[in-house]
Amino acid sequence: MIEIELQPWQQMTAHAEATYPNECCGAMLGSTDENGKTVTVALALDNASTGSQRARYELRPEDLLKADREARSRKLELIGIYHSHPDCDAYFSETDLKNSCPWYSFVVLSVQRGRFDHANCWLPDAEQTHAEKEELSWPKS
Amino acid sequence: MAKILIPTPLRQYADKKDSLEAPGSTVGEVLAAATAQHPDLRKQIYTEEGKLRSFVNVYLNDEDIRYLDKDKTAVGANDTLSIVPSIAGGWAGERA
Ligand SMILES: [Zn+2]
Repeated sequence: MIEIELQPWQQMTAHAEATYPNECCGAMLGSTDENGKTVTVALALDNASTGSQRARYELRPEDLLKADREARSRKLELIGIYHSHPDCDAYFSETDLKNSCPWYSFVVLSVQRGRFDHANCWLPDAEQTHAEKEELSWPKS
Repeated sequence: MAKILIPTPLRQYADKKDSLEAPGSTVGEVLAAATAQHPDLRKQIYTEEGKLRSFVNVYLNDEDIRYLDKDKTAVGANDTLSIVPSIAGGWAGERA
């Protein structure tokens, strides 16, 4: 179970809409306890893909390193990664799976015609062969 | 001893610590020493064949060891190693 607070949620959906028709990406910081994960801070990161960013994203490891340092300095945890799917469902694609890391929760935001539509969260396995859906909750306006 | 920063989701495999210290004069030796004490951590970072998993990058301070001397990169007592994943994705051409 992963819950995203209002402020990071608004930043994530605004980032996804502003980046449309390209894919956006970023990191989610927060905390974990017995009830699950709570995202309290969203960090927008650069899409470093050199191909068409309409359907590709790539995070620079340097940026993830910075995100991890930011989390440590704020006594938070780096708990997940988000990215958007412009005009596409919030599923975990074959390419997403093949380039994933099993340590993090992956939130996918579907943006349809420039507006946020729906989201899902995924937990990929270490072999990059399967992603389990993780229950995701966000503030409904 | 060199310091190894442990990403949050892996701390459960490292006695809940956010960093470990381990002896060694190269990146390979330091990681081997650290993961010898924490076999479950080793499984997260290395494949069964003993290679770093495809999505795992190791940084010596601010530099990717791939662009230094890989696992033979020299490590000093005041150096910090970070474990950083590669993450990317996309969906083009998968759906009509
Ligand atoms: Zn994707």
